[in-house]
Amino acid sequence: MKSYETVVIGGGPAGMVGAITLGSKGVKNLLLDENDTLGGQLVKQTHKFFGDHAHYASVRGFEIAQKLQKKISQNSNIKVETSATVIGIYPNKTIVYAKNGKEFKVTYEKLLITTGAMEKQLPFINSDLPGVYGAGAVQTLMNEYGVIPGKRFLIIGSGNIGLILAYQLIQAGVEVRGIVEAIGKIGGYAVHAKKIKRLGVPILLNHTIVKAIGDESVSGAVIAKIDDKFKPIPGTEEEKVVDTICVSVGLTPLSELAEQAGCEVEYIPQLGGYVPVRNEKMQTTNPDVFIAGDLSSIEEATTAMIEGKIAALEIARILNGANIENEINEEIKTLSLFRSGPKSAKIRAGLEKFGISIEAVPNVESHGVQIGPVGKLRAIVDCTEEIPCNSCEAVCPFEAIHIGENLNSTPVVDYDKCTGCATCVTACPGLAIHMLKEDVEKSKALVGIPYELLPLPEKGEKMWALNEDGNYVCDAIVKRVVKYPNKTNIVYIEIPIEFSRKVINVEFPKEESPFVCRCEEVTLSEIERAIDSGIVDFEELKRLTRVTMGPCGGKNCKLVVLGILSRKTGVPISKLSRGTSRPPVKPVEFSLFTKNGDPK
Amino acid sequence: MISEASVVIIGGGIIGTSIAFNLAKFGVKNVSVFEKSYISSGSTGRCGGGIRQQWTSPMNVRLAMRSVELFERFKSDVGMDIEYIEGGYLLLAYTDKEIEEFKRNVKMQREEGLNVELLTNRQIAKKFPFMNLEGVKGGTWCPTDGHANPQIANIAYAMAIKRMGVELNTHTSVESIDTQNGKIIGVQTSKGYVKTNVVVNAAGGFSHEIGLMAGVDIPTYSERHQILVTESVNHILDPMVISFQNNYYVRQTMHGSFVMGQSDKNPAKGNDLGHTVEFLEEMAPKMVHDFPFMKHLHIVRQWSGAYNVSPDAQPIIDEARNVSRYIFAVGFSGHGFMLAPAVGEAVAEMIVYGRSKTMNISNLGISRFENKIEKEHNVV
Repeated sequence: MKSYETVVIGGGPAGMVGAITLGSKGVKNLLLDENDTLGGQLVKQTHKFFGDHAHYASVRGFEIAQKLQKKISQNSNIKVETSATVIGIYPNKTIVYAKNGKEFKVTYEKLLITTGAMEKQLPFINSDLPGVYGAGAVQTLMNEYGVIPGKRFLIIGSGNIGLILAYQLIQAGVEVRGIVEAIGKIGGYAVHAKKIKRLGVPILLNHTIVKAIGDESVSGAVIAKIDDKFKPIPGTEEEKVVDTICVSVGLTPLSELAEQAGCEVEYIPQLGGYVPVRNEKMQTTNPDVFIAGDLSSIEEATTAMIEGKIAALEIARILNGANIENEINEEIKTLSLFRSGPKSAKIRAGLEKFGISIEAVPNVESHGVQIGPVGKLRAIVDCTEEIPCNSCEAVCPFEAIHIGENLNSTPVVDYDKCTGCATCVTACPGLAIHMLKEDVEKSKALVGIPYELLPLPEKGEKMWALNEDGNYVCDAIVKRVVKYPNKTNIVYIEIPIEFSRKVINVEFPKEESPFVCRCEEVTLSEIERAIDSGIVDFEELKRLTRVTMGPCGGKNCKLVVLGILSRKTGVPISKLSRGTSRPPVKPVEFSLFTKNGDPK
Repeated sequence: MISEASVVIIGGGIIGTSIAFNLAKFGVKNVSVFEKSYISSGSTGRCGGGIRQQWTSPMNVRLAMRSVELFERFKSDVGMDIEYIEGGYLLLAYTDKEIEEFKRNVKMQREEGLNVELLTNRQIAKKFPFMNLEGVKGGTWCPTDGHANPQIANIAYAMAIKRMGVELNTHTSVESIDTQNGKIIGVQTSKGYVKTNVVVNAAGGFSHEIGLMAGVDIPTYSERHQILVTESVNHILDPMVISFQNNYYVRQTMHGSFVMGQSDKNPAKGNDLGHTVEFLEEMAPKMVHDFPFMKHLHIVRQWSGAYNVSPDAQPIIDEARNVSRYIFAVGFSGHGFMLAPAVGEAVAEMIVYGRSKTMNISNLGISRFENKIEKEHNVV
């Protein structure tokens, strides 16, 4: 039976970095993974990662896997066994794994378990129908094997995985009919949510799936609003025509092997469920067994990699007596910094139960969106949620973006230094930066939008400019398309200057006409037809089509309508009449006026 | 803009455009319409949209009945769906005296050929179970009354006359009317001068002012009437309902919203088109009382428009005595929209034949005010 100084079980980000670190410190180790390639969940992550630039921020997940794979293959201290499924950990530090239909046994001095997590299930009627998938399964099918399992998707859960999956599905050219979220706020990062909202995907908060519909496979889903006890509210049911339902309601650690290895396990919901008890250096209650990654707490790849490194360094220190305390403490500090932001409050609370306390950095600075000097080509950074990421600061060649000590702070742009190079636009993992330049004289604005869909529009092409909800704002002409090696290309469009603060996305014109006035359901083509028939006065257009006459009083669409009228007639918006504002500014019930509230 | 017009029509509201439409149908060329703002910017675009034949004056009944005939053909005649529905009119009576008056009206209206009947409280309750009929003794009901979208009707006429060759000048105001020896020779507008011998005053809220431009003192004045619209809900109410006692009218549009209004106690005179919160405070309790389901209905918008009022609340359609070929169709007192198709036809006939042929409207002449004034009562 072969024996190793250390065996690492699980070749995801934590395990790979663990093995590399062990190898670099001279610890001979065996890395076991049940898949045929290393990388774990990274191989299906086509999006760029957040984080510290020193830790692969703004690199796409599968590219991180490739980089780590290369490092492993270059390190002679690491032996890799893929397609190796560990079936159990037996007495006398014996690991049994299956490979190619044969049984293998190895022993270890130290064990690093990085088995990760699996997707949680959600019980609902007909959840056994073909067409109900876990989000990870869809990502594997789509991003690893190039198979898209449906045409119209409903996603359950608005955590980062659900949000990212929605984006990837749209990139793959299929439709996402919506994301339902049981609680009253979006679970994942705001930038991920904004990315899909501006592609027109609705996120329905306080909603759940009631049942899947279908005989042989999914042909629809019934969703409903839920009350504060998560019970569906009768009468709010709504049917969505979808052929695939992706459940993405969170992950739970795979702690079985750790239990078999003699680690104490505790149920800590903030960390994802049953997790091995461990100290700051990732050592479990069995001093020979270490853990890292999602097995220790459900987070993301960056923290998993740092944990893998900490665990490996500690193993190396114990085995070799190497004097690397300082290095370990540095990594612990870095990890704490990652977890010091408001989005990590849950993790901090969970770790508290192990006596690991991380100070939430109180002075995380949050800044609103800066507009910058009108007329200059510049970056507009719409990143107002504190998440641990500094890629924009790191890539800016002119030091024009400042985040500061704590990478949870939001970026501040120094517009004196910003040259409009757009390097940050293509680097930002959240696609939260776009370019803007107004031409006041010509009443036009140039907007540079990060674009990760195919095909790319071409120069001179007529597009639809969209707002943050993916709704049509105005027509746009493509002025320039700049391709970047990282595949986050930038499409520069020209739009009327009035919409320079509204437009955040661009799409090819659709045959179906978009609603301009959602209250009265008036489409773009209806408005254009009316204008073409000679109705060129906004007031007449309004009366004929009912546009702007609904409950919102035109707050949402009046400017859009004026923009269409201006485009069709050549009269600048400022010269068009825009109607009279009448009370009530917001609709009020008759009952308001049946009782006079004035003091007598 | 043409420099010489066969007829100049002042006012691009429902009356002016209906007259132009009928002239174009007669083949009259070089008709020019001047509208100082946009189409439906005046009273037409602000009105309740009711189409009623139940009047107390036989002349109004006849004009309205002819209009209904034309409204029924409007879509094919003029070329646009104007949300016309013959949902009826329900007029509510609360006292024995009112019932007696309603009986007399029904008798007269039936003699004019109108299908109208008196309903008891119970009959009304059966038809409209969602209404609170507390205090209602009865009412009158005419199933061929109805309502339509006045704004679209006005735009429909405007688009039709442009297609038929009429020159429609919006955002063009008339500044003066030139006369010589009791004859019209031209009109000065904000966009230029046009020679003409025939002018029609269809200026609605501004009829008196336009009259004075040719030295004709038309006894009309304007007063503000307020109106509101609610959110759109499922269809429940077919007819226009009027309560003179509670001082309101209400209808549900084909679009689903409810449109309603009243006569204010001291309406602002002139063309003040502002709005007051008192209007909402007065409307809300009575509407919620009579239509309890409205309690949680949302008010979306309030606005106002001018009634161009004549001394007997009936229109004045005539040619001026002192200025030949100066014709006016004014003073509709809040009922111009519903009479417009018939008035357009009559005025076009006056211009082409010298008198209206389809209907005898001689008793709508201005000279009637020299005698005792017989006022139309059914006005909200």
